Amino acid sequence: MSPSPFGALREQLLDAAAAFADDPGALTGILSGMVDDVDRALAEKLEIFPVCHHSPASGLAMVRRLREKQPKVVYLELCEDLQPLLTELRRCRLPVALQAFASELDGFPNESGPLSVVAPVTEASAEYQAIAYALDTPGVELVLVDRSVDHVFQWLPAEPDKSDKSEKPGEEALHGDAVGVEIGDLRPRFAELEAYLLHHGKVRHWSEWWDQYVEQPLVDADYDTYRQVMVMIGSLFRRLRPNHDDRGDRDEARERYMWTRMREHLTASGTDPGDCLYVCGAFHAASRVEEFGLSGADTFEIAPRTATRWLYGLIPSSHSAIEAQFGLASGSVSIAAATWAKAVQRHRVSPYVLEGQQGAKKPRKGTKAAAPVSREPVVDRLSGFLARPPVLDELDEAELLGWCVEIVRLARRNGYLASTADAIAVFETSILLAGLRGRGRPTPYDFADAAVTCIEKDTVPGRRDVRRLCEILLGGDRIGQVGYEAMPPLAKDVYDRLKPLGLELGTRKVHRALLDLTANPELVPCSDLLWILRRLMPERAVRPIMGTRRLGERPIQESWDLAIGEYQRSLIELGYEGVTIEQVLRGRLRQSVHDPKATAAVALQAVEDSILYLGGGRFTDELGERAVELLAAERTVDDAPEVLRRIRGLLAHYRATRPELPEWCASFVTTGYAHYCTLLPTAFTDEETGVRQIAAMLGFLFTMEGLALALGCDRAQLELAVRQSHPEAPAKTALVWAARNRLGLLPLAELRSRCDELLANPLVVPTFPLYLSGFVQALEPVPGLAPFTVEMISKAFGALPDAVLLPWLPKLITTLREHGQEHVPTLIREAGRTFPADLASVDTWVPPWAVRAEPGTAKASLTAVPPSAAETAGLLAAHPAACDAVAELLGCEPGWRPTTPSGGAEHGEVMALQARYPGAAVAVAELLGAR
Amino acid sequence: MSDMLRAPAEMKFAEELDWLESVDDGPKPFSWRLSPRMIRIFILGSERSDGLDREIPQKWFGDRSFVERSIVTLASDRGLLLIGDPGTGKSWLAELLAAAICRNSTLVVQGTAGTTEDHIKYSWNVSMVIAKGQSRQSMIPSPIMTAMEQGVIGRFEELTRSTSDVQDALISILSEKYVSIPELDDDNIVFAKPGFSIIATANSRDRGVNDLSSALKRRFNFVRIPVVTNKRSEAEIVRFRTVELLKRHRIELELPPTLLDILLQSFADLRTAAASAGSDDEKLESALSTAEQIGVLEDAILHSHFFGDRTLRAGTLASSLVGSLARRSPEDLAILNKYWHGVVEPRSKKDGGEWPEFLEGGRQAIATLS
Repeated sequence: MSPSPFGALREQLLDAAAAFADDPGALTGILSGMVDDVDRALAEKLEIFPVCHHSPASGLAMVRRLREKQPKVVYLELCEDLQPLLTELRRCRLPVALQAFASELDGFPNESGPLSVVAPVTEASAEYQAIAYALDTPGVELVLVDRSVDHVFQWLPAEPDKSDKSEKPGEEALHGDAVGVEIGDLRPRFAELEAYLLHHGKVRHWSEWWDQYVEQPLVDADYDTYRQVMVMIGSLFRRLRPNHDDRGDRDEARERYMWTRMREHLTASGTDPGDCLYVCGAFHAASRVEEFGLSGADTFEIAPRTATRWLYGLIPSSHSAIEAQFGLASGSVSIAAATWAKAVQRHRVSPYVLEGQQGAKKPRKGTKAAAPVSREPVVDRLSGFLARPPVLDELDEAELLGWCVEIVRLARRNGYLASTADAIAVFETSILLAGLRGRGRPTPYDFADAAVTCIEKDTVPGRRDVRRLCEILLGGDRIGQVGYEAMPPLAKDVYDRLKPLGLELGTRKVHRALLDLTANPELVPCSDLLWILRRLMPERAVRPIMGTRRLGERPIQESWDLAIGEYQRSLIELGYEGVTIEQVLRGRLRQSVHDPKATAAVALQAVEDSILYLGGGRFTDELGERAVELLAAERTVDDAPEVLRRIRGLLAHYRATRPELPEWCASFVTTGYAHYCTLLPTAFTDEETGVRQIAAMLGFLFTMEGLALALGCDRAQLELAVRQSHPEAPAKTALVWAARNRLGLLPLAELRSRCDELLANPLVVPTFPLYLSGFVQALEPVPGLAPFTVEMISKAFGALPDAVLLPWLPKLITTLREHGQEHVPTLIREAGRTFPADLASVDTWVPPWAVRAEPGTAKASLTAVPPSAAETAGLLAAHPAACDAVAELLGCEPGWRPTTPSGGAEHGEVMALQARYPGAAVAVAELLGAR
Repeated sequence: MSDMLRAPAEMKFAEELDWLESVDDGPKPFSWRLSPRMIRIFILGSERSDGLDREIPQKWFGDRSFVERSIVTLASDRGLLLIGDPGTGKSWLAELLAAAICRNSTLVVQGTAGTTEDHIKYSWNVSMVIAKGQSRQSMIPSPIMTAMEQGVIGRFEELTRSTSDVQDALISILSEKYVSIPELDDDNIVFAKPGFSIIATANSRDRGVNDLSSALKRRFNFVRIPVVTNKRSEAEIVRFRTVELLKRHRIELELPPTLLDILLQSFADLRTAAASAGSDDEKLESALSTAEQIGVLEDAILHSHFFGDRTLRAGTLASSLVGSLARRSPEDLAILNKYWHGVVEPRSKKDGGEWPEFLEGGRQAIATLS
């Protein structure tokens, strides 16, 4: 075996450890171990190409190496089952993310679903270069060797941290809550190490540290130096990590997986390892697992995947989404992209671009593939790299000047009072800052700091501050787009069906669609589709400005704000659930009614949605039948108001559109009648059941009584239920009184006297408002009680002491406001009938109940009848036509008797009799009043 | 120096500055006494990687980039405006910068409603004018003019407290870098020497009182100093400043770490409450800055030293806190009362330690003030 080329370096590091460390044992282990790792990785027969994510240096080294070596097989650290998606990349504008999605889980806990994995791909990355090379070069095979997405979740800890579930704003939310995987994750594995490096590197973010200490020195380095340095950094972070690190264990398992897969492939294909290239993160290049290398142990058993059905697709991604997903500094991916573009130009390399790639610059023509170069023996480049002081990048004056002028222009456009003087100041400050931070060339971060210092004042005039403007200037956020051909059939179908609107819905802006459905009936299907999209997609994706879709309404004109292009990910993810949008909606509705937490109200809503969006039919009946089942199984009445509201609407719809009710509807009414009758006594006594719920139950029972009885229900059941109800709470007591009155079990006079007694009893007076609340709620099931309720409220206002009345008033108002639609019109109408309409009549106004209550007054009112009778007789005689017509209609012979001027004097004995025994007349008046 | 109540930074850290100057081999702009890198080390303290033979303690606590941006601004053509809430250490940073750059931090103009243009430019010694007529001898230069003549840093405290016409007098000083004296026939222009610049401070709570004109804004680079919310940094600042104050008062008293924690926690709680308050009446008038904490602690220490048993107790700290923060009679007291019953009381039951005594002390103080 030949001696290691790194022997001298090892000796040097060991001496340094002995000289500087208090306890050289640990440091010696780390330093010599790092050299060992580099030695081992470079000695491996299968060439390992270490990369770091979003590193232009990696990309550049990759292009150069691919052109030089022209490998026949490229192994890539990416989930193996994502491979079929790679060819679709050429139909997209990068950055996009490869996505695997599963909503029907088998082998994972149901509550963890839906599962989603994303692997973003940017143009400036080394892996894209490898992919583009492999896919567009004939005879080259690309093999993804990392564990499948199923294993990603198998290996995740049992309880992932779900603390931060908040939806991020804007482009950062492009990946949703998917788990991110990416190639070449290279970052310190514990916070203290990172903080230490940042502190001593005098930088603020990890990206900035990487750029200054690794990226810049490596951009110009030769391939050997690049490899050795990357493996060394990978080894450093690998060795400096917590002992019991779950993530470390997972990483090792992945390495075993990848090496096992590569050996399997090499054996199966018989390829010479010298013609292969293994592209992996630098962290994995410094692996020490037994399976490492072509001669590694074959002891790793790959666990089978679960039975979960995974669906694959591409979704749009963006620089900011990548930064948010992987915890990178804001703007760092954009800066990396800009650095890549610049490096490509400066070093005159021709990067690989997938044939037909949307939005990408075409590679220079005439770049011929050179003859493959064989590998030279490994030479120690590390010693030189580590011993050499950092080579400071020279000031690129033209670039900095360009930035300064551009930032001032941008600032001015965003409301800042910036001028050329500011551009000069930013230029000067950038150089000074870079000098203070020990750099020859101001980095984008120095420039941003300088711009903030010189341009930002005490307030931000517009929407964007200077730091944000700097990010825009240095590349800005780039948002990818998935091409039409690469989309799932559902998304294509949606775009096709919305074509009649004549809008370019693929673009990322808000489109206004105006649909005149009367003039252009061919747009009705578009409207139907938009309503379904509104139901399924995020709120801002499809937003109606004008127009509603409710039962019993027919659309005439609609106006929509459509941002489907911006929410492409949501649309593509819908494609994982079905082939057409209707199928997805059907699935969602079915899922909602079969959910363990589903209630009858949810099922009724699903029924309503199926009528509105899918046009009813058998599917609606299926949902309706499920609603009946759910109602019968319910043990609480919490949803009773919602159930009542929805079933009323549905009954009205069916009565208007069909000759007879569907079977499930009839069944729902009869089941509901029996169900609520059964639950009524318990609900009245149960403390947790509110008055509103009981009122809704009574509403169901009374308003659908006719239909229920016609369908075979027994009224005795309701009477019994009400008789069995013995509530203690005042509001519920009032409700049960109202119910008894409605059933004829409690006459109004008795009800009134009970309430009067309550008002007269000083011990009960404080609770009287609660009784009134009960009566207000009873307006729905027993609308006939409205005059009585008005009477009671009026009496309460008159009789209740301020201490009781005033605290109750706000409560009354809030109750009425909350349930205003149901109760207020009834109350107002009744109050309008009861109280005088103008101010003048208030003085002489006597409340009707006061008239009824005093017998003397009753007598007076009766004796006052004759003059009015006389007036009536006069009126009728003056206008006989109406009476003649009625008589004719009833078949009586028309004929008029003359009246005596004394008008009614001949009925004197009747009047006298009535005056002597007013009881009967008062009872009749009351009865009439009650109606 | 011993008979000075408070020595300016250049005197207090004279020995350290001398040493830094002796080892400084970096490029120095204008007539600066230290290079930008050394100034940063002087203010933020040294680290091993700086390769210095002695340790330089940290004197200002905050983000490194604020200091760097401030230094480079002073090396450029523009003035520096430090803006932030009261008590965030703006003036202290300005003093340290001036001391490190030119060893003179005392050329200060204090901006008030009564500041006139004379305070910025020059005024006349009336007796001398009567005796000898108007001449350079009978002229009294302002601190800013002195700074121009010497090529050093002039300071303008609370810039936004002075009226707009006074502020605008700075425009010509910052652009043309000279002041003309029309009263004199010759030698009537004072030119600024290289190294002259201005560090101004402004209180962000005073925004709207006397807004800066756009012309003046353009001549200043703004560096916003936020309130320190990092508990560790805040503890460092409070400890650093309190030790300094104790030294100044020649008091030997130990500051128990548990009490410091209580103080920091209380301020953190009150800041959270202020952040979620809907209106001004629901938050304390105080900005709850780090300086305010130092004030509370100093007050408590002095009270313990002179009226107590020379040991700082939680009760004294609580009454000092209530006394310092209750500025508006019904509103602030109501907020503190709510805080004491809603937060301190449960915490004293849960955590124990010094909290019960803190609770009792605060209650008594609130009762006394109510």
